[in-house]
Amino acid sequence: MNEPVRIQQEDFSQDAEIAALKASSLRIGGIATFLGCARDFSEGRDVSEISFEAYGSMALAEMNTLRSEAIANFKLIDARIVHRVTTVRAGDNIVFIATAAEHRAAAFDACRWIIDELKQRVPIWKKEITPEGDAWVTPHP
Amino acid sequence: MIRVLFFGPVAERVGARELSVPFVAGMRLQELIDLLSANHPSALDIVSFIAVNQAQVNDRQFPLNDGDEIAFMAKFSGG
Repeated sequence: MNEPVRIQQEDFSQDAEIAALKASSLRIGGIATFLGCARDFSEGRDVSEISFEAYGSMALAEMNTLRSEAIANFKLIDARIVHRVTTVRAGDNIVFIATAAEHRAAAFDACRWIIDELKQRVPIWKKEITPEGDAWVTPHP
Repeated sequence: MIRVLFFGPVAERVGARELSVPFVAGMRLQELIDLLSANHPSALDIVSFIAVNQAQVNDRQFPLNDGDEIAFMAKFSGG
């Protein structure tokens, strides 16, 4: 199976990621997931495409650190993080996070923590391509 | 040489993704910041993070070594 933390151009399969998590342990009692996908509207403008760029080596290292921290701090059994870096259209998948724990609370908490931290700590940038022109996204607090 | 990397909005303002800067003994991060400030002030305006060899550095007096990889980065917007 693929590495549990990846940056890739191609789409991912949520089923395959979850299957890989389940295969890692029979002690898993709950898996929480977050799927980030592309919207067709942002800040009052139609968005036709979103283009991603990453500092790949640093981004991957930081995502691996996030996974390790989440496993340690939330006592997860396992976790997977996949982020696409390519140009996507409305409805396309962008990021997938899955966290597995013995009980649901840790899985939910860790999943939320990972996506929040990813936005703060992982060097990836998005540019929205609109009929009026392109604009790099200024992050929300 | 020092390898200076730019991504996304910063690369767009610099007009390049990578620059090579000759290494001088005793060089500190501040000297690279000064160089960017002089040549690409609009790019420096949006720099929120600097990484030396893929680790974030806040100390502008951080000493550099020949062959270092320095990235000037805007606020992240992944996810």
